Formats: sequence, structure tokens, C-alpha cells
Amino acid sequence: MRKLFALVQRELLAYFSSPLAYVVLTAFLFINGYVFYLIVAFLNDPRTQAMAPLKLLFGGTIFFWLFLLFVVPVITMRLLAEERRTGTLEVLLTSPVSEGQVVAGKFIAAFVFYLFLWLPTWVYVWILAGHAKIDFGPVWAGYLGIALLGLLFLSVGTLTSALVRNQIIAAILAFAVLVVVFSIGLVENIATGAALKGALGYMNLWDHMDDFAKGIVDTRHIVYSLSLTGFFLFLATKALEASKGR
Amino acid sequence: MIEVEGLTKRFVDKDVVANVSFFVPEGEVLGFLGPNGAGKTTTMRMITGFLPPTSGSVKVAGLDVSRDSLAVRARIGYLPENVALYPEMRVEEYLRFRAAVEGVGRAEMRARVDEAAERCMIAEVRRQVIGTLSKGYRQRVGLAGALIHRPPVLILDEPTVGLDPRQIVKIRELIIELGREHTVILSTHILPEVEQVCRRVLIIDDGKLVADGTPEQLRGGFSGAAQLAVQLEAPEGEARAALEALSGSSGVKSEGNGHFRIAVEAGSDLRREVFKLAVAKGWMLLELAQTTPSLEDVFLRLTTHDAAAEAEAPVAEVANA
Ligand SMILES: Nc1ncnc2c1ncn2[C@@H]1O[C@H](COP(=O)(O)OP(=O)(O)OP(=O)(O)O)[C@@H](O)[C@H]1O
Ligand SMILES: [Mg+2]
Repeated sequence: MRKLFALVQRELLAYFSSPLAYVVLTAFLFINGYVFYLIVAFLNDPRTQAMAPLKLLFGGTIFFWLFLLFVVPVITMRLLAEERRTGTLEVLLTSPVSEGQVVAGKFIAAFVFYLFLWLPTWVYVWILAGHAKIDFGPVWAGYLGIALLGLLFLSVGTLTSALVRNQIIAAILAFAVLVVVFSIGLVENIATGAALKGALGYMNLWDHMDDFAKGIVDTRHIVYSLSLTGFFLFLATKALEASKGR
Repeated sequence: MIEVEGLTKRFVDKDVVANVSFFVPEGEVLGFLGPNGAGKTTTMRMITGFLPPTSGSVKVAGLDVSRDSLAVRARIGYLPENVALYPEMRVEEYLRFRAAVEGVGRAEMRARVDEAAERCMIAEVRRQVIGTLSKGYRQRVGLAGALIHRPPVLILDEPTVGLDPRQIVKIRELIIELGREHTVILSTHILPEVEQVCRRVLIIDDGKLVADGTPEQLRGGFSGAAQLAVQLEAPEGEARAALEALSGSSGVKSEGNGHFRIAVEAGSDLRREVFKLAVAKGWMLLELAQTTPSLEDVFLRLTTHDAAAEAEAPVAEVANA
């Protein structure tokens, strides 16, 4: 446990001592702020029907998804690829920590950083709370959805970073896989046949996020995200084991 | 302490390490010699478990490296060839991280970090960011990281590379000292280092073990163990015949002007005989010097391939390309 803690701590130190973290953080705040502004302006338009602005912020717009698809690979690309490239992986994998612990340490640190990115969005909640009564149920559910989505996406990035030694390639691979993971559920809308439609619906992340933002916490959504996360992390561990000494 | 049995590593279609076996008892400092690309690093990586062998086995303290990987890793301190560190960390942070990962408890942490920093002479850069350290200091930080948990086995791949002469001496002293409590395997290209530091030497060439023994054994155990340089004021032909006739001489080369070079068989010492011969014949003895082959001679003899093979190599490469 202390070993895992040391791994997470080192990784977080690496995050916050690299300029990349601040670039991502700034871009994230900027785009989120812009989207928030657009949503509020849109809702202020008398022609639109009443909608919860936070619901739109959490997955209701394409910005949310575009940003996640881009940012998560950037967060994860460094994790294992960099250690492999510089050779520090040799030290790590000859220390008495298992490959699983290494993957877990990296993943947890990436998740902490991801949550840190979302922290400032509480400002919007605070702003809205100043103007209207807010139902905190959907807000919490929305953040839960964001966390689950983060786990799933970050696990994909961790896997691709374990596979290659070039960060950029790791990021591009992660992006490609994430696009598939994200869009497979969207096929639901054009699918025919009830069984296929049902299966794809189960995997439709947009709908999942929509439900969470409405305050619906569906255990099937949670199970789907967590089991995929576990699967990708398992693959990452196996990839790390298989790639030893390369 | 370390048992290596039939160790083989195949990359693509070449056995980079071919059927290497040796045993290192506890408390021995073993030197690993060999030309570039001989397979030293590959062998060390297999001992640490970083590289899985194609065949063969490695046991450390009775534990199999592939089966009890974590237990073995806990017993080994490893300094890889290209010392890789985290450039954004401070030296002290790095050492604490290494200690935590190696399983050093919170209570001992401080003492271990202090001890390692002091032993590797990096106390003055403890607060410095690793990325700003000079090469020699980085090497020493890597070494400190390898011995922070006082592992019973130390594997050091070229530990003195990049150090200044004073530091080389100090690190050698440190390794000798470490050899009292630890089992050490180190690789190096500096032959005098081996003689100073190592009780035993392995020479590996093209993946195969070609010599195994103490430095003295290696120097003494090969043909023409010693040479005698002699200068006599004497008729050349007669002197040469007389020197050749001495028992224990395995060849005499005349170098002109009364200079002779006598190859002496291993275990013989001809200096007295040569002196007596000169006295008996009434020749003036101007020079009598015995030279034993250096480890360098042994190394070169064992790892130099005949000229024909060397000349063929580039041709083969062109043909492959
Ligand atoms: N991952 C790899 N894939 C293919 N060949 C490799 C790999 N790693 C090492 N080799 C080859 O194995 C051989 C032995 O390499 P190794 O690094 O063990 O040599 P070395 O004895 O440590 O040499 P040096 O003195 O230069 O450090 C070399 O020919 C090298 O090219
Ligand atoms: Mg090497």
C-alpha cells in the first residue's frame, strides 16, 4: 500500500512539474468557460424551452465529448511510454513492485489529475446557485457520471501508453480507441433489430451521461463503465508484463 | 548466492547470450568483462528479472527469478547501464521514492536516505533537481538508489562510467567495502578496476563464457605466462641456442643487438638460469626483466577473433543489406 502511495505521489509530482499539466488545465478552463457562457446565453434566449444548464454542461453538448476525447489521451500518453523511453521503467520493474501496482499507481494519479481538472467547474454550480434554486441531486449524479467516464477513458489511455514507447503514438492510439468506445453506442440510432439496438443502447455513453445529468443513477451504466475500466487495466498490466526488456 | 544455469537469450535469430553458467557465492565481488555487444548487459538484465531468458534459469538466494520474481527483486539492488532517473525530482525526493518502492519502512527512511547519500557522496546535492545534475552526480544518485534498501545482492552495470578520477577511486573503495556485506556483480571496461575490486572475473565474448577465475589465475593460466627480456653481450647464434635449451623456455625471439625475448612456460622462472648461463659462458648480462601478462593481454587474446573473420564481417553485412 505504501509502495502504491509512493508511485501515485511520484506520478502526481511529474504531472504538476510539467508544463503540459498547466496547458491542459488552462485549455480546459477556457473551453469549459466558453461552453458555459454559450449554454447560459442559449438558455436566456426566450425561444428555448426551460432546461437545466448543468445538464447541458455535463455531456449535453458535443464540446464535452470532443474535449474528453482529446484531453484524456494527453493526460495518459506520458504514463508508461515515457518511462519506457527514458529507461526508468527498468528500475521500476526490477523493484519489488508488481506490474499491476505500477499500472494502478499510474492510473490513480491520472484519475486524481482528471478530477482536479473538473474541480473549478464547481464555480458554475456556485454561480447558478446564486441565481436560482439548484437541485443538487442531478449535480452530484452528473459528477458521478463524469468520474465514471474518466475512469473508463483513462484506462484506455493507460493501456495504449503501456503498448508503445512514443508518447505521441500512445496518444493517437488512445484517441482512436476512445472514438470507437464512444461511437459504438451511437450506432444504436441507426441500428435495426431490437436485440442489436438494445445491446448498443447499453453501450451508449452519450445516453449514460444524459441519464446521470438528469439525476438518474442507473447501476447498469456504472457496471458497464467499471467493468470496461477493469478490462482495459488488466490488458495494460498484461502488456507491461509481456513487454519487459523490450 | 547467485546461480546461473545454461542461460540463453535469443534476439531474432542470434544467441546474444549462449548457454552461460556460473555461480557466485555470498560475499563475492564478481567482475564481468567483455567487448561491446558481448552480452554483459543482457545477462545482468536476466539476473534482475527485467528480461526473461529464452532458456536456462537464474536463482538468487535459492529463489527462481521467473517464479519468485518479486522476492528476488526485493533482494537485488540494480544500477542499469544508462542510469535513468526522473529529471523533475529532487535528489532527496528520488531517494525517498526509491526507498519506499523498495519497501523501506517509514521509521528507517531517514536513516537510509542519509546513509546512501553519504556513501555515494551526494549529500551536497540533496536539494538539487536531478535534471540539473552533471553526469557523474547522476551516476552517483543512481548508485545511491540501488543500495538504499541494503540489498544482499548488487548488480552494477558499468558503475564508474562518467566519473572523474577521484570519484572513480572513491566509488571503487565503496564497492570494495560493499563487497564485505553484499554479493556484487559489476561490469566494466576498465581492466585495472577489475584487478583492484574483484575477487573473481568472468570474461564473456559473443555471448559465450570464455574465462572464469581470479585475476591472478587468468593472468597465469594462459600460454606464455611470462616473458623474459634479456640483453647479452654474446655471439647471437650461440646465445640463442643456449637460451632455447633452458628447460622451461618455450621459444626465443632474437631482436638484434643482443636483445632476446624468451617465452616462459607457466609456472617456471628462468631468471636464475639465465644469470647462471651468462656467468658460466662469461657473457655480459646487460638486462634481465620479467614481464607477466596483464589482464589486458589476457582479455585481448580471448576476445580477438582472427583477422580473416574480422575482414569477412563487413562483407557479410553488405550481402545481407
Ligand atoms: N532488445 C534487443 N533486441 C535485439 N538485440 C539486442 C537487444 N538488446 C541487446 N541486443 C543485442 O545483444 C547484444 C549484446 O548486447 P549487450 O547490451 O548485452 O552488450 P554488452 O556486453 O552490455 O555491451 P557494452 O559493453 O557495449 O555495454 C548486442 O549485439 C545487442 O545489439
Ligand atoms: Mg552493456
